[in-house]
Amino acid sequence: MDSQLALLQDEVREAIARIAHAESLELFRVTYLGKKGKLTLQMQRLKDLAPEERRAFGADVNRLKNEVQQAFDAKTAEISRPNASRDSVDHTLPGLRPPVGRLHPITQTIREISAIFGRLGFESVTGPEIETEFHNFTALNIPPDHASRDDVDTFYTESGHLLRTQTSTVQVRVMKSRKPPLRVIAPGRVYRPDTVDASHSFMFHQIEGLMVDGETTFAELKGTLYLFLKEFFGPKTKVRFRPHFFPFTEPSVEVDISWGSRGWLEILGAGSVNPRVFDAAGYDSKRVQGFAFGLGVERIAMLRHGIDDIRHFYENDLRFLEQF
Amino acid sequence: MKISVSWLKDFITIKPPLEGTAERLTLAGLEVKTVKPSQDHKDTVFEIEITSNRPDWLSHLGVAREIAAVENQGVKMPELDTADPRQAPAGWKIHLRELKACPYYSGVLIEGIEMNPTPDFMRERLEACGFRSINLIVDITNYVLIEMGQPLHAFDADLLKGKEIHIRFARPKESLLAIDGRALELDSRDIVIADHHSAVALAGVMGGKETEVGMRTRNIFLESALFDPRCVRQSSRRHALQSESSYRFERRVDPEGADKARQRALYLIRKYAKPRSVFSVIKAGDVPRTSGARLAVSAPEIRRVLGAEIKPHTVHSILTRLGLEPKALSAESWEIRVPSWRADLLDSVDLIEEIARIYGYDQIPEILPVRAPVPYEPNPILKTEDCLRTFLCGAGLFETITFSLIKNTGLNERDLKNTVRITNPMHQDLRWMRPTLLTSFLNVVKKNLDAGSRRIPIFETAQVYSASASDKAVQEHRVAGLALAGQFRRKSWMDEERNVTFFDLKGIVESLCDHLGVRDIQFRPSDHPMMECGSAMTLTAGERSLGVLGRISSETAALWDIDIPVFAAELSLVALAESVIPVRKYQPLPRFPATERDLAVVVPERIHAGEIRDEVMKLAGGLAKRVDVFDVFRGGRIPQGSKNIALRVLYQSMEKTLLSEDVQKLHAEIAEQVSRKFSATFQS
Repeated sequence: MDSQLALLQDEVREAIARIAHAESLELFRVTYLGKKGKLTLQMQRLKDLAPEERRAFGADVNRLKNEVQQAFDAKTAEISRPNASRDSVDHTLPGLRPPVGRLHPITQTIREISAIFGRLGFESVTGPEIETEFHNFTALNIPPDHASRDDVDTFYTESGHLLRTQTSTVQVRVMKSRKPPLRVIAPGRVYRPDTVDASHSFMFHQIEGLMVDGETTFAELKGTLYLFLKEFFGPKTKVRFRPHFFPFTEPSVEVDISWGSRGWLEILGAGSVNPRVFDAAGYDSKRVQGFAFGLGVERIAMLRHGIDDIRHFYENDLRFLEQF
Repeated sequence: MKISVSWLKDFITIKPPLEGTAERLTLAGLEVKTVKPSQDHKDTVFEIEITSNRPDWLSHLGVAREIAAVENQGVKMPELDTADPRQAPAGWKIHLRELKACPYYSGVLIEGIEMNPTPDFMRERLEACGFRSINLIVDITNYVLIEMGQPLHAFDADLLKGKEIHIRFARPKESLLAIDGRALELDSRDIVIADHHSAVALAGVMGGKETEVGMRTRNIFLESALFDPRCVRQSSRRHALQSESSYRFERRVDPEGADKARQRALYLIRKYAKPRSVFSVIKAGDVPRTSGARLAVSAPEIRRVLGAEIKPHTVHSILTRLGLEPKALSAESWEIRVPSWRADLLDSVDLIEEIARIYGYDQIPEILPVRAPVPYEPNPILKTEDCLRTFLCGAGLFETITFSLIKNTGLNERDLKNTVRITNPMHQDLRWMRPTLLTSFLNVVKKNLDAGSRRIPIFETAQVYSASASDKAVQEHRVAGLALAGQFRRKSWMDEERNVTFFDLKGIVESLCDHLGVRDIQFRPSDHPMMECGSAMTLTAGERSLGVLGRISSETAALWDIDIPVFAAELSLVALAESVIPVRKYQPLPRFPATERDLAVVVPERIHAGEIRDEVMKLAGGLAKRVDVFDVFRGGRIPQGSKNIALRVLYQSMEKTLLSEDVQKLHAEIAEQVSRKFSATFQS
């Protein structure tokens, strides 16, 4: 027998005698019998040997391999005997986890919200982030001299476009390209030149929702949002509807939910579509009605997960991302 | 805005608890943020937040009017001095030609005032609302401002040069020393009040220091005017000068309030400053007639919009309480008259909102819409994106969300030329709309390395943007990016750790395509400005280019101070979505056993493993189900400039069991042919 093989034979016999627990059994298997195990690797030496030595060496390796396999099987049977002690496997050793990543908490939140509205028949759609003043303001009944059009509130590009400040732009685009009835939600990035702090960012995410049909009432808007909020935040969630103003909805509402010691917190804005928006989009405002809502994804994710600083979302520290 | 409760009580009755009133106001749309005692604890202060359509709430009278509507009571109006003295101020004249910027200007000359101390109630109320007491006259103008919402200004009449007041656009290079001490450089877009000599006030924004009313002032000229909201807003923005006055003019004041506010101020001046003489009002322009517009609304309309049944007498009562003077057109329809302070009421839906908010949004039922399903128009990009995200998470990558606005670090001239640029960036360096996700990934890698992370597998799906300089068109394109740095696998009690290699990235991309149903992909060597020469590849499916992958060049990584290899890919989601096979077709499962045979060949370095694999496949004529490269070895007995490539071939027929000798014969033949073709040495 080849001397290297003989050394291995001694080593392996000793190793198998020492095995007392299932985990050392596995370790033994990997070390000697596995794909990259020491015995398996011996076979690779074959090609380095002179052809006349190969046959004898191959036979030796196979014999040793068989012997070890038999001893290993016997040991396995011994250790897994029904009367083996419960402690024969160290149950505190960590499982070998496959490396798995995570979806960003913003994506998770968007998916969850989209799923609820999806069940209500709202289809997910998208629209461009670089927009025209028409889609972002004019068509949404925002007057030409409105302060939100100023460059302290809106990013403008050298090409004469702007970065959408709200996903409501998608309302206009969908109405321009499809006929009613409509039920859509549009998640996406929006941009506003806000000074960055714990609760503001110049880029964030919104989800816009729009339903248009022959007769679509404010009561139905309330019903839809109630269902969504109770499903998302839990059946005991307290909700209140507070009149508000948005140029593109009339009547308009801000929806608050009660959040423990923090009291009422604004969670979304909504309203019945202003007939002027239908006119701008080319729908007959005498024949259709609708409602729209818009919610800030970061705000909702922060509330739900107890995240104290919006900047965490964009810093992408893996210690943050792996928590969700 | 701060609202004094004691002041509100001049106009309406407020019953305790105050929190109840505050909540009813909030639920009617006038949000009361806090209810707190004033600093001297003599009063209670409501901190209110108004919506942009209701500037009429920016006064105590406006808030009182709202409480009256909500709680169904009347409003007692403040006392005015409506006497019109006969005596005209000799020589005083107003020159107004800019009727768009200033539709109406009125003033009154008041002589021989006594600059008495401001009465306590007035000082206390002003202080409760956050105003500092200055002197009697200034205090009275401020008092009327927050009582009625109309900004006033008093000039020291003796400090005005001449007796003619001009409302005009500023002259080039004209300047004004404002009351707050700032020297303003005016231009022809600023509307000013000027005396014979120069500008004495920036209209609607702030008065001038030189004509300011002081303790020694005896004669005043009291201004009450209407200025164009846009004009005031632009001047205020341009000079970064915001005042209580500009705040209200920007949002629009009640046009009929201009005369009333002047009369209110006169009442207070007569009472507390005991003037010797008050002259007749001089004015120019006209108060725009906004009130009196009529709107109609009917019960069926209300029902159709709200989905709630509100009784006609309730509707009538609400409209009355809002001061809209409803006239019943029938049992179920009304016509109303829009008051001068409600320029926001334009359409019948605006009235319906008024009715709903006073009726109470909480009184409107919640109804789930019952509709037929609307057919979906499936969006293939969204579907692919969702599938890709799920897969990459499962493959161990963390999803990131990075900013679309980036610095130009790492981008070359050509990339930058076609980049969409922001004209008003937040930070000078974040002004490019990113043309690639790669630089954002380097930020994330650097950040995590600094935080001590040793394993950084990340991905993101987002838009990239480009512009063409010629036609000002912009484009957005949805992409998916992946980046791997550091360890591929952590050390465990079972396995050793291992760092990522290019082939980990390539493997993920291959599996991803497989998972999505993108077939027949090919990798080809390529050049990429940010990637190491020789390690950049393009990925294609048929003729369609799907994207790039490779190792970020060390020069690029050095810009981020990263000294470990970073492997990254950027794939077009649009192209991926277009390449996805619509439906996977079933392949019958083999009924006959498979046989494995290994093949090792020594070939020159220039021969690619893929060529050998393809050749084996071809030679096996459909009997090779799989050919896997399982080892690449250099050194040892292998000659310099060559490598040993080991392949495992799985032979299987769909028609019969392959006999051992047949397989052996075929395998030997393939080995022989491969060896000849690639000048390879047959190994085993």
